[in-house]
Amino acid sequence: MVFNLRNSIILFSLGTIILMGSLTIYSVTSIDINYFLRFLLINIFVILLVVLLFNQINLNRIFSFGWLLFLLNILLVLSVEIFGKEINGSKRWLDFGFLSLQPSEFMKITYALFVVQYLRFYSFKFSKFRTIFLLSVLFFSAIPIIAQPDLGTGLVYIFLGLMFLFICGMHRFYFIGMGVFGVLLSPLIYTFGLTSYQKGRIISWFSSDQTLSEKWNILQSEISIGSGGLSGEGFLNSKQNEFNFLPEADTDFIFSIYAEQFGFIGVFLILLMLGTFIVVTTLLTMTEKRLTSDLSPYYIGTYCTLVIGFSFLLNILMVSGMIPVVGLPLPFFTKGGSSLLCFSIMLGLIFTSRGFLK
Amino acid sequence: MKDNKIHIYRTRTNILLGIFVFILTLVITRFFYLQIIQGNELKELREQNINAFEYIYPKRGRIISRDGIVLAEDRKVFSLAIDIEQKPSEQSIRKLTDLFSERINVEDLRLKVSDSIRFRRSEIIIEKLTQEDLAKYLVSGSDITGFSVIEGYERQYNSHPSIFHVLGHMGYINSSDVNYFSPRIDEYNSKLWSKVGKSGLERVYEQKLQGEHGKRFFQRNARGDRRVITDISPFREGEELLISIDFEAQKLAYDLMKDRKGSVVVIDLDDFSIPVAISTPSISANDLRDISSLQYQDLLNDPARPLFNRAFMGLYPPASTIKPLLTVFALNNGYTNWDETIFDDGFFRFEEEERVFNAWREGGHGLTDLKKALVESSNPFFMNLSIRYEKNLFVDFLKSSSFGSKLCEDCYPHQFSPLIDDDWKYKNFGKELFKGDFINLGVGQGYMLTTPLHLSLISGILAKKGKYQLPYLVAKKQNQLSINEELTEQDWNKLQASLIDVIYSPNGTGYRINAGALKLAGKSGTAQVVDINSREEYDEVRTNPLLRDHAIFIGYAPYDNPRYSIAVIVENGESGGRVAGPIAKEVLEELLNGF
Repeated sequence: MVFNLRNSIILFSLGTIILMGSLTIYSVTSIDINYFLRFLLINIFVILLVVLLFNQINLNRIFSFGWLLFLLNILLVLSVEIFGKEINGSKRWLDFGFLSLQPSEFMKITYALFVVQYLRFYSFKFSKFRTIFLLSVLFFSAIPIIAQPDLGTGLVYIFLGLMFLFICGMHRFYFIGMGVFGVLLSPLIYTFGLTSYQKGRIISWFSSDQTLSEKWNILQSEISIGSGGLSGEGFLNSKQNEFNFLPEADTDFIFSIYAEQFGFIGVFLILLMLGTFIVVTTLLTMTEKRLTSDLSPYYIGTYCTLVIGFSFLLNILMVSGMIPVVGLPLPFFTKGGSSLLCFSIMLGLIFTSRGFLK
Repeated sequence: MKDNKIHIYRTRTNILLGIFVFILTLVITRFFYLQIIQGNELKELREQNINAFEYIYPKRGRIISRDGIVLAEDRKVFSLAIDIEQKPSEQSIRKLTDLFSERINVEDLRLKVSDSIRFRRSEIIIEKLTQEDLAKYLVSGSDITGFSVIEGYERQYNSHPSIFHVLGHMGYINSSDVNYFSPRIDEYNSKLWSKVGKSGLERVYEQKLQGEHGKRFFQRNARGDRRVITDISPFREGEELLISIDFEAQKLAYDLMKDRKGSVVVIDLDDFSIPVAISTPSISANDLRDISSLQYQDLLNDPARPLFNRAFMGLYPPASTIKPLLTVFALNNGYTNWDETIFDDGFFRFEEEERVFNAWREGGHGLTDLKKALVESSNPFFMNLSIRYEKNLFVDFLKSSSFGSKLCEDCYPHQFSPLIDDDWKYKNFGKELFKGDFINLGVGQGYMLTTPLHLSLISGILAKKGKYQLPYLVAKKQNQLSINEELTEQDWNKLQASLIDVIYSPNGTGYRINAGALKLAGKSGTAQVVDINSREEYDEVRTNPLLRDHAIFIGYAPYDNPRYSIAVIVENGESGGRVAGPIAKEVLEELLNGF
């Protein structure tokens, strides 16, 4: 491991995010300090474990299992329908006793690994057939996620999958085509493709009727954020959390609690750290000198970095009322095994792809 | 080839990074807007989320009689309620039902618990715990969880039925109460007070009695569970109401009526307050508080009308008891004098309409002057006078004697004696008043109706020689009033002497009262319930108790320095002198010896 300035910046910004995430989770869920330490240790332990494990495995080996992992993941998503436990009207989780996993969370990684394995064989040349094949796989594999029903995760999966194809160099004609097609098709999708619950979520975002429960959730979230003011109410002083006004305070809406406690300064700091981490890591990955002509590590590293960045932003856009409420986790903040594991794997892929630890 | 791919990759990564930074800036702007620009507003909303308050209900004021008896007061009662913040366990439910097995059963309690958790309201399971119940519950305390003892107040009245009509009763508020109270009570909030006075003093003095509620501020979470009490704003207990009723005399008057229907009203002539106002039959005010709506319907449908306050509402023909008042009118306007005599043969012949009116005594009173007409109650004498009355003067006189206007500000409900004039008759019969009408009016029959309260006041007017005030139950400054006739002192003395003779002269209709040392002056009356044209009809009517005449007596004592005036009405009591008079005597004796 090389401790140069760049690496130090990356580690510092990432460390800050993880620390703040752990502190916030602790402030939401418990007042027991042991709980916080345990959570922080588990976080760091899982991240380190995954990163070190990935470091021991040759990236090429991981890539060679791409399609297998992807198939396995799809099967897990489908098995949720049979074995999964239902929370809030949708089946997303597999319960392993000590850990409950949301297999759909991992689709964005395994799809990318599958694409890499498939295209590497063709030196990332997108023929018409390959392009349509990969797009079809992406859209069809999203169906079981959307059917759970989990529109948010499904849409984000498609969006991130397209982003990966974009990074890998798919012809821009397809993106323009899909964009036009999507705009034309969206009224039809809204009318026939969505359940009333999903429509309710979208309506609540556009309507100003505050009695709708979704609107109430967003309002409570905005109240939390706004109450933080410039400098925040101070650590452990979130009244919205103390009096249970914020639903899902430990998962989807955790950033509102963070904003109430640490104020605009805290929000600015964490976003600064995020920006630093994403931009610096991406730039370093991009400019890494490589001996082989294989661009796979570039693609995977950049993709994983941007996934973390965009996931973070999507969640914050959601809690601050700028996009409809879709259940998206906040990386390193949201309490939950699959989210932590998923983002740890991404860190592992990022660091491994850059040969960071060598 | 590779360079081209790297070029595409770098370009596209830069595009994505650009989008990322753009959204990041957008997010920062959004948070700046929410936290810095809208921060205070949103914080205010958060405080509204968390901070709530509830009302603290003060103790309602006591009502105390002028002889110092507490007639109504709020007593603290304890009830057992479900504590929604700690759901009662199945074990606790069973233990509690074991403890109070005679008052609740397991199934009902389970249902109440599940309802109360579902609707998030604290349901009361046992109302009004006795001391013993409370002790039982508190001893078993730690075994039973999920319930809490809550404090409240309950109105407790003196249980003697004599006092019910004056005090009135409380009941759950409805829209007519809202209409009644809104213009009368400053800052009246119908959501605040669940029970209000429905009748009597409880209604009239609602604002004074209810006091001012306080507020208990507390913090609560999104489910509405109360967490911490943060502040308590002061509240004021209801004011005490000292009323003019003399409870001993009131009880006596009621008991003297036994099971007869009627009313006794006494007015204190020093200040025109009302020391006695009873209406029989009656009920205990506490009974009305606890009964079901079915039992309430029974009371409303009872032909004896126990809920009807005869003292302030009952309209009776005053009969002969109106004669002294009309004497004042007749003397002043020169319709008669103390020397005029007529021959009373038991009939009055009204020649204009060729009608003959029966008088009460067979054979009449013989040669009769004004004094004899008063003492022995000669109808023909007064009928003879009344055909001379000028309509306008007569109506004005009645008006100045408080006919047709509200008598008492704090008597509720209250009915005024109708003013019989052309308007009244047009409204009721479509004709104007005839001369013949005055023959009946002149002896207090026909259209003339008065309340017992008004009769007592008329007696007071006679005692005070025309000067009077409006009566009341709770001390208040009153305007001095007087009837619009001004008799000479000599005429007043002769009139009063006649009223004394009614009681003390052996011919007097009130001689049988045996008033003795009481120094009673008065006038008896017997009001016909049905029109009777012949003696035969009269005997027939007497066999039906409900058609028998009402016995009326008005009077005041002591006659040399009048302290109290009284009116007694015994429905179907037949003889004012023999039935109503003795009741008046005993009540006045009690009042005069009491001080």
